[in-house]
Amino acid sequence: MWTGSITFNNQLAPQCLHMAVRLPAEFPDPVPGQFVMIRPAGGDGPLLSRPLSIYQFHRNQDHAILEFLYRVVGRGTELLSRLTPAAEMHILGPLGRGFRIEKTRTHRILLAGGMGVAPITFLAQYLKGQVAGKDELKICLGAKNCAEIVGVERIKDMPGSLNIATDDGSLGSCGLVTDLLPDFTQGCDPRKTMIYACGPMAMLKALAEQLAPTGIPCQVSIEERMACGVGACLGCAVTVHDRRGKRVKKSVCKDGPVFNIEDICWDQL
Amino acid sequence: MTNRKGNDTQGKLAVEIGKLKLKNPVMTASGTFGYGEEYAPYVDLNRLGAIIVKGLSLKPRHGNPSPRIMETSAGMLNAIGLQNVGVKSFIRDKLPYLRQFDTAIIANVYGETIEEYLRVSEILTAADGVHALEINVSCPNVKKGGVAFGTDPDMIAEVTAGVKGVTDLPVIVKLSPNVTDITVMAKAAEAAGADAVSLINTITGMSVDIEKRIPHLKNVTGGLSGPAIKPIALRMVWQVATQVHIPVIGVGGIMSAPDALEFFIVGARAVQVGTANFVDPRATIRIIEGIEAYMNRHQTVTMDDLLGSLKI
Repeated sequence: MWTGSITFNNQLAPQCLHMAVRLPAEFPDPVPGQFVMIRPAGGDGPLLSRPLSIYQFHRNQDHAILEFLYRVVGRGTELLSRLTPAAEMHILGPLGRGFRIEKTRTHRILLAGGMGVAPITFLAQYLKGQVAGKDELKICLGAKNCAEIVGVERIKDMPGSLNIATDDGSLGSCGLVTDLLPDFTQGCDPRKTMIYACGPMAMLKALAEQLAPTGIPCQVSIEERMACGVGACLGCAVTVHDRRGKRVKKSVCKDGPVFNIEDICWDQL
Repeated sequence: MTNRKGNDTQGKLAVEIGKLKLKNPVMTASGTFGYGEEYAPYVDLNRLGAIIVKGLSLKPRHGNPSPRIMETSAGMLNAIGLQNVGVKSFIRDKLPYLRQFDTAIIANVYGETIEEYLRVSEILTAADGVHALEINVSCPNVKKGGVAFGTDPDMIAEVTAGVKGVTDLPVIVKLSPNVTDITVMAKAAEAAGADAVSLINTITGMSVDIEKRIPHLKNVTGGLSGPAIKPIALRMVWQVATQVHIPVIGVGGIMSAPDALEFFIVGARAVQVGTANFVDPRATIRIIEGIEAYMNRHQTVTMDDLLGSLKI
């Protein structure tokens, strides 16, 4: 477990915050899609750490900085939202299996709903830096309204196309982020394409239904309540099809949080 | 004296649970430490008194639907539903890894019927590398077996005597707090031949999402663990320790060395650390070091000097 300190914890939208934590330089490089278990040091915080996916990671000479985007959804994140700079944090991580990147799949579509923008932004930056080179990324963001479209500044200057959809049409097109997809998948070669998605389960379920007839592969990052983050408590179980098509339980924290979309048994929702 | 793994079982912290010799009195509670390997990146497993693995059934179990956990005030509810790989897969895939460590491995046994408890116990006894059995008659999150056995002293006696008949390993019976008088259950286990009792398993509870008016857990109810239950666990351990002659293992909300010491003072010979592992993967190590520091500070020579030393 690592101990770090908050450098900022700013509100971006009514229930959305952006936090940065300074950590020792020994903190390992995370892969996009990975997460950490985080809680304030000392006894005042929640009992259990909360899982937050990594939005941004950078290193300086003698330290590392982790950034998170998170929404206040309950008591744990409410307590996180009240923390101020210099507050000490305990962090376990980086944890889980992140997005798998195949170099030959050069047509990459990134889809984020709500706070799903956090790991998707990290992935976009990683792809631009490591793999994609001149290949354009197609990035689609969705949220309830323009106030909840957060984190755009980190991706808007990337070469490629940024497309936005809001439920109320207050920014970008009016509708769901999944409605933007056909523009990018029409006529594409499924063997050269990969979709990466993160967002609410209802969005991902709709995406699964939309993609099923197309044969286009997709990796999704999902969430579930967690206690340990390392596969021990079995609190974050998700039902998936194994290689033989049998329904089995997997842990979101250890076997995920990124899964192939077709492996998840969407009827469990 | 050393046990068959060459443990230092004569150190200051050494304890004996029947013929099971442990280098220290700190174990990991079943269901909170996976099969050991999950925590190996964070904890030197050789330093633990014992690892109690996730409850094992004859066939693999998928467990309950999600959500399975919910944090509550100073605690958490869980309704995992005994998801496990099954005893045969445990022996094939998990036990070989555990065998390399210099710590006692205790298998937690679950059955829907008496026959299943006995069969799982037999299979584990025949395997190389299991040092004791803990009989789970107290899981509150399954429809059959578990706590259905643990709330009836006759059933506890029947399961205990049955398991004792098929194994030569030390048998620990894990008791449920969801009963009127836990000492009745402990005495039933003792009379049937149990080598030790461990208590408490989780306390049944629930939590409601007031916006949606649905339970936070898909299973509706779950087992409460964590610091919230420690005073109850401590009271029950104290009551049981004054009523039985076999070793009592204290479990329930132990987060720190002072918590563990309270249990020794009221009569627990050893403790299990559960929810604390989720909060801090190194909780067990912190607790072992804290107990040692306390003993040095109080010039306590052995664990026996602490055991049941409560002054009333």
